Amino acid sequence: MNTNTETMAAKGSVTARILGMAAFLALVFVAVPMFIAATGRSDFYYTLTSVALLAIGAAGVWLTFYIGRINIGQGAYALMGGYVSAILITQAGVSFWLTLPLAGIFCAVISVLIGLPILRLRGVYFAMVTLVLTEVARLTALALPITNGAKGITSIPLPGELSVLGITLIPDFSTLQNPRQAFYMVAVALMVLVYLVLWRIVNTRLGHLCRSLQQNEELSASIGVNTTWLRILAYAISSFFGGVAGAMFVSISQSIYPSSFVVQDSVNFVLYCFLGGLGYVFGPMLGTLLLYFGWDLLSVFKQYQLLIYSGSMIALMLILPNGILSLLDKKEGGK
Amino acid sequence: MEQILANGLYLGAQYALIALGLTLIFSLMNVLNFAHGQMYVFSGFVCYTVVVQLGLPFIVGLVVAAVVLAVMGGLIEKFLFRPVIRRSKRDESTMLLAAGIAFFLDALILLLFGEKQRGIPKVVNGVFNWDFRLIMPYDRILICVLAIAIIVSFILFMQYSKAGRAMRALAQDRMAAQLMGVDVDRYSMIGFAMGAMLAGLVGALLVSITGVNLGMGGPTSIKAFLMIMIGGAGVISGAIIGGFILGMMESVGLSVLSSYGDVTYLLIFASLMIFLAIRPQGLMGKPWG
Amino acid sequence: MEARAAWLNELGGVQIGDTTYDIQIVAFDDQKDPKRAIAGMERMAQEGVHYVVGPNVDDGAAAVRPVAEQQGIMYFPYSFPKELFSPPASNAILGMVANYQSGPAIYAYLKENKGVQKVAFVAANESDPLSQRDSGVEAAKALGLEVVSDKVTYQVDTTDFSPVLLPVLQSRPDLLVLSGVSPANAPQLIRSARELGYEGLISTETGQDASVLAEGAGELANGFISVGGASTPELASDTMREFVDRYTKMFGEYNDESNTKVYALEYIIETLKANPAALTDVEEYKKTIDTFEAPNPFMVGDAKLRYVGRSSFGQKRQVSVPLVVTEYKDGAFETLFVAEVD
Repeated sequence: MNTNTETMAAKGSVTARILGMAAFLALVFVAVPMFIAATGRSDFYYTLTSVALLAIGAAGVWLTFYIGRINIGQGAYALMGGYVSAILITQAGVSFWLTLPLAGIFCAVISVLIGLPILRLRGVYFAMVTLVLTEVARLTALALPITNGAKGITSIPLPGELSVLGITLIPDFSTLQNPRQAFYMVAVALMVLVYLVLWRIVNTRLGHLCRSLQQNEELSASIGVNTTWLRILAYAISSFFGGVAGAMFVSISQSIYPSSFVVQDSVNFVLYCFLGGLGYVFGPMLGTLLLYFGWDLLSVFKQYQLLIYSGSMIALMLILPNGILSLLDKKEGGK
Repeated sequence: MEQILANGLYLGAQYALIALGLTLIFSLMNVLNFAHGQMYVFSGFVCYTVVVQLGLPFIVGLVVAAVVLAVMGGLIEKFLFRPVIRRSKRDESTMLLAAGIAFFLDALILLLFGEKQRGIPKVVNGVFNWDFRLIMPYDRILICVLAIAIIVSFILFMQYSKAGRAMRALAQDRMAAQLMGVDVDRYSMIGFAMGAMLAGLVGALLVSITGVNLGMGGPTSIKAFLMIMIGGAGVISGAIIGGFILGMMESVGLSVLSSYGDVTYLLIFASLMIFLAIRPQGLMGKPWG
Repeated sequence: MEARAAWLNELGGVQIGDTTYDIQIVAFDDQKDPKRAIAGMERMAQEGVHYVVGPNVDDGAAAVRPVAEQQGIMYFPYSFPKELFSPPASNAILGMVANYQSGPAIYAYLKENKGVQKVAFVAANESDPLSQRDSGVEAAKALGLEVVSDKVTYQVDTTDFSPVLLPVLQSRPDLLVLSGVSPANAPQLIRSARELGYEGLISTETGQDASVLAEGAGELANGFISVGGASTPELASDTMREFVDRYTKMFGEYNDESNTKVYALEYIIETLKANPAALTDVEEYKKTIDTFEAPNPFMVGDAKLRYVGRSSFGQKRQVSVPLVVTEYKDGAFETLFVAEVD
């Protein structure tokens, strides 16, 4: 009897999840474009595209948090992914749609090479090394000939047509009336995909293992978990996300410079995760949305913008030291 | 060659002083103070205000800056870090708080002092010139000597004073120190204030040579992180060694590699990563920080 | 710019065609982040703005280009990459004199008048300064000058420039060019160079701030050559002087950057006056560019506002502002020579 009710409850929560998911999809793919069409605020497309892409990067950072590492180097992978895409498009004539996964894979491979030594570090040490990574990426981009150094890569064409067996899946962006809407759709679709993957990871055996790493590495190693492999895997997935986000940004700005992603961006990714709360898969998405729009809304205060922004960030930490979604904890505790 | 070493020594002395404050705060509270660079900049502006706008002597500026920063550090510890550390589930929350404070200080600096580069007149004029083999302006020598003097007195203080001993006990084992009757809250606050004061002293010293501007905070913090990673986080000797090593690497690298363009920092970063892969706890650190 | 707009509004607004308009400036802070700059440009498009002054850095200017071209916005970036202004690009107008235009003029002048033969370049390890260094090196070589050092770079957060400058000065240049140097780094570089015993000339192609130089380098900065704004006493008209007064009242301290930006506003307004159809259609604006000419209120004499840039970009995509080369002396800039760009 007991087990029966449990499965019933589980089923109930699965239905709730599916409903929630459907509501979310309807919101981002239908309601938002309708809202924008109704109000004519088409500049929201770009802001929301930004949020979606940044949330993808933040998802990666969140995953490294999940194995108990503070990753302040996501900007490096975003920059790297951007350059991979830009170079492949401009110099090898590869279709943008192919460069998108390639950028991610390239970043994942590099992250394995970098991760092997540095993932042995813990806590603050790992955080500090990753903080330096972004600067390394910038200096490398400045020094290498293939990245065109300081001059950056500009005039990158818009994404072309994507077709499978002659059927056009995504039309050529340069022929579109409103490429901003198309970018929005693609970015949001990517974001949904990334968070599904993330959610999947967390709720499988892999996720449990990751949690065990977060709590006690020695213990999980002693019961036979291959911690090294697990860490590398999580970091590689994280960097994959970073690379994809970077490549997508480049296709929108049609240009990339060594300064396109800087330390500030890496720090921001971490802030998005923190703010949303580290205990929830969708935390980084919420954090990104709030911080990005929070900043924009505060622009009415002109020179006091940063003061109010940082002031409220500090206040938030004082009131909710465990992130916004930790409010949910309290509710659960009250039950 | 003499010139390169002298440059490295001068850089090393100022770097070590920056890293010292950061590592002190880290060792006492396990907080990576992202706002360290901003504190340094803030203090530079305080010194500028005292010296240029109020027309007082440099030494007054130095003292005022140190006091202002010490008070600021104490308040930040008492009202911000302490409650957050008490209530948060994970250590990382303090990092976000520190980042928030860094932004806040940036905003404050912008509002109070503006975005322009500021500097105070040279403290002493003249240049020491040994046959063009070694050239060092007198004010740099003075700052370098002052920096080393501060480092030495800091070490003596930590070694022999009651507060210093209490703080070392705290850094070693917070719980044990508490059981032994050390007032943890009080010494955390004093420690944070001292860390901030050290940042303040460097800022005030350097405003007479390099000046300050708003944008310097973040990069300074990152450099300080590098130093304590080299030396080992939370270890005082490590911070000093890390500072001098980074100073030397910069000085030598920039001279030797000048014909290759932009590679000095790239090499410093790359070698740091390899170094940390071999010795994750830094030169002097305890394993796993 | 806000100061000039407020002033014009105070005078009753601007008459374009048959209507008199008040000028409203819409501000957006991109924080030098190209991703934010795109958002800013989208916001401008949303609010129906067709004329944008900025962005100020290369990456931002390149990033907003797609938006500007799709949304029909003319923008006046303060960054120099030629492809922004050369065909097929047509929406960007350079709002100042580029370093590849001022550099050759300065080097030629110094070669002739001061006997400079060997030049050394240092630049910050960032996109804009490095690009400016490269075009400076090219220009110097074209003039037959010997470039003795052009590889040394520094991090913008450097606190001690002696190790940076040591190898540069060992190459014994007559002229040390600080490519694209920021007003914050300039005094430190000058001071370090002089303290290391360097006695040759130092110059840059970017605008500097006299009070920052005075504080940071004192009299060691004497003789430093930089490019000034158009507010030098010899050139400034009463209008310019009044503008500087008003600016100082509004914002406290006056600097040259605001000077170049007020020109952009003046050009936009005057061009719109010449062709009111351009108010809503930038294609009309582009048509007017080729023939446009109006008196320059900020300069004495019969100086004209007109568009130039044909020899650099192959089309007129630059405002004509005087190229004023100045020399720092005891807290102020003195005009060395004045030239014009075609």
